[in-house]
Amino acid sequence: MKYFRSWSLALPATLAVLLLLVIPVASTIATTFGESAGPFAPYIAFFKSGFRRTVLWRTIEVALITTAISLVIGFITAYVIARMPGRLKSIAIIAAVFPLLTGVVVRSFAWLIILGKNGILNDFLIWIGAIAEPLSMLYTEFAVIIAMVYLFVPLMILTLVGVLEGIPNDVVEASISLGASPAATFRQVVFPLAMPGLIVGAVLVFTGSFTSYATPQLLGGERQMMMGTFLYQRAMVTFDWVGASTIATIMVVVTIGIVLIMSRIARRLNPMAV
Amino acid sequence: MTYRIHPALIVFASIVFFFLLAPLVIIIGSALSDTTYLTFPPRGLTLRWFENIFEMSAFRRTAITSFQLAFAGTALSLLVGIPAAYALNRYRIELPSWLSTVYVLPILVPEIVFGFSLMKSVTVGLETPIFLTLLIGHALLVLPYSVRVVSASLASFDFSIEEAAISLGSPPLKTFFTIVLPNIRAGVIAAFILAFITSLNDVSVSLFLTGPGISTLPIQILAHMEQFFDPTIASVSVLLMLVTVAVMAIVEATLGLTFLTK
Amino acid sequence: MTVSLDIESITAHYGHTEVLKDLSLSVKAGELVSLLGSSGCGKTTTLRLVAGFLPPTKGRIKLGDKDITRLPAHTRNIGLVFQNYALFPHLSVLENVAFGLKQRSVGSSERRKRASEMLDRVGLSPYAERLPAALSGGQKQRVALARALVIEPPLLMFDEPLSNLDAKLRIDMRVEIRKLQRANGTTSLYVTHDQEEAFSISDRVAIMNAGKIMQLDHPEVLYQRPANAFVARFVGFENLIAMKVSERDGDRVTAEVEGGSSIALSQDSLGPIPDEFVLAARADGLSVRRSGEGLPVTLGLRTYLGRAYQYQCQSTAGDLVANGPLSDPMEQGGSAVLAPHFEQCCILPVEA
Repeated sequence: MKYFRSWSLALPATLAVLLLLVIPVASTIATTFGESAGPFAPYIAFFKSGFRRTVLWRTIEVALITTAISLVIGFITAYVIARMPGRLKSIAIIAAVFPLLTGVVVRSFAWLIILGKNGILNDFLIWIGAIAEPLSMLYTEFAVIIAMVYLFVPLMILTLVGVLEGIPNDVVEASISLGASPAATFRQVVFPLAMPGLIVGAVLVFTGSFTSYATPQLLGGERQMMMGTFLYQRAMVTFDWVGASTIATIMVVVTIGIVLIMSRIARRLNPMAV
Repeated sequence: MTYRIHPALIVFASIVFFFLLAPLVIIIGSALSDTTYLTFPPRGLTLRWFENIFEMSAFRRTAITSFQLAFAGTALSLLVGIPAAYALNRYRIELPSWLSTVYVLPILVPEIVFGFSLMKSVTVGLETPIFLTLLIGHALLVLPYSVRVVSASLASFDFSIEEAAISLGSPPLKTFFTIVLPNIRAGVIAAFILAFITSLNDVSVSLFLTGPGISTLPIQILAHMEQFFDPTIASVSVLLMLVTVAVMAIVEATLGLTFLTK
Repeated sequence: MTVSLDIESITAHYGHTEVLKDLSLSVKAGELVSLLGSSGCGKTTTLRLVAGFLPPTKGRIKLGDKDITRLPAHTRNIGLVFQNYALFPHLSVLENVAFGLKQRSVGSSERRKRASEMLDRVGLSPYAERLPAALSGGQKQRVALARALVIEPPLLMFDEPLSNLDAKLRIDMRVEIRKLQRANGTTSLYVTHDQEEAFSISDRVAIMNAGKIMQLDHPEVLYQRPANAFVARFVGFENLIAMKVSERDGDRVTAEVEGGSSIALSQDSLGPIPDEFVLAARADGLSVRRSGEGLPVTLGLRTYLGRAYQYQCQSTAGDLVANGPLSDPMEQGGSAVLAPHFEQCCILPVEA
């Protein structure tokens, strides 16, 4: 027993993950291949059904749009924060952290108040005369996306502030001393160095929104069903566990696939890695 | 990076911050409204919705369950996570490199898939009590924070300090508690806080694991919202925000908030 | 209590890599021995084996009469001074020094007294209540030294203790370490990559390479009479010239270098000369002359050293470095001869 000490310390956590996470998830995946109708029957059924395909594409669409908007908003805001003087910077970070530490349910709930028929957005639009009748904004893709962006922008901001602050100041100064304008410096120095961080942020937001439950449940409802809510509905309302497991497997494949591919790309793009 | 920023960017960032904070202000306002439906700005001011929460036993019970789960789950995750983080850093060459990936699996695998699988295999398969399955789910859900945050502070810990203590006659286990632990205190506190908040706010894992008589606060809020649309939920949300404020105060006092950008 | 340290044919591995092979070393009671070598030569590994942080694959380590090979590290009672000081960041200077006494269950007032006395000896009494972070590098190293000495260990070990300090402080500290070590008569093992440091502080120095001790001897001997080519290069013999004896006449020997030129040597000053050998000489030991007896060379680049001119020379035996007088600067490209000063050269065996 050469590595007795190291392994005995690492073992409890390792066993916990293997026995209570890896095996249950693997068995979920395995049940989808054990059907009498053939090994891929649940998947054939999934992709044959127009409704299920719609749910999958909608989820991908919402996740992609959320990721794109969060990237733009998050990067610009993080860029401003990274250049703020110390005191203001801490206030800005507190303002970004506070929503992040507040629960998903609370944050989604806020949009329920804002976007409702009698919500403040409708009140406001009527007051300024933009519309005459209140719009029904809840239970639309728009509602889900805006709430998701709200959910993930703080995460993106914090990730990117860390990345931008990690870019050494003297590299930026060197670029300017060599005659690059601030815009050129941004394009040719800051942005490429921030690229791996942008990828990390994008992966976090994409996988987070792709697998979310509370936000689509509250703001999308039955009408805007997404993979998370669909999984719950299959498992707990119709008790179709094979169907639910099929959805679960697709979610695992998509998220882990994205993580693996993007982290490989990020590693290749990281000029500061050894 | 401190040179001048274009004014348009400052305006943009200001709008973003308004977008981030206004919804939370709206919740606070709605919680104080003297109406039976949710509205903003509040019409009339009252605290009766806060009183209402305490009268509703479902909120009281689930809040207690949520705090118990957060404490016990976080404690468990640190109990197995700290030794694992220590082993990963101290015996780097002895352990395989994939091991650190194992510990982040709980955040790599979609939470809702994990919750569903845990229900199938453990609650149904092994017929474990509901609270126990919830505890397992929460402890595993927050394990990545325990291992990674503690690992990060161990990575900057100089293990020759530990060897110095041992050479002076301090036995290894005692050395861990008297020398190593005090020097990774910040990491352990940070891990605790992140894990605690994550557990307290969790929906996706708990979703499948709650059962008759036992639920968590976020799940109870979701269930309540499907039936009622009154300011009670807003006032519960305000209380949860106060917990967040308390947590941030602890972070600021112990580590400084800039820690969160690292 | 002074005891000896005996390392008996130790072999050690890191993972699957063999880092020490069959290494033996004895440090006599009260002696300070340095392990000198470049990084990766096995010197720190040797120290970690003795400290008990790395189990040997084979061999035995004895402290006095006691076999400590399998003893847990915390029971070995060895004072260690680390390169990066390894002070406990959360304990005050005084608590750092008292730490070892606490492990030995010394009462708190006695502990305080002994730690304070030790701090006084290293001149740090005014800093007793500070945290290590508030000290300079030199002060930190003094605390580390006090912490190791206060437990009165039979063996002290130093792992590159001065390499994080600036040049001036390094010299002051090594004098101080030597004084304290002499005063206590503690057997010591000292690891360094700095030749000057090792030679100035040690009774004996072991020059190490690739997990083996190449030569273990007094600094004077190492400097003047290296036993092999590795040690000769290490202590600054730039010129190693392979030669063959072509003629003997009593103590006078004529030797031939590659390319045909011969040179006259004297066993009187160089010691016995075998038929095939290597002549080792520093630049100082080869004198550049315009003509006369010696090894013919073509002069290359000339540099000014202050006390002499140094020439890069080309000979039939390869490139050589030699010094010439300031009074007579010679031009690049010219011919000259190199005359060895026998008392500054030495004879090495031919290695495979």
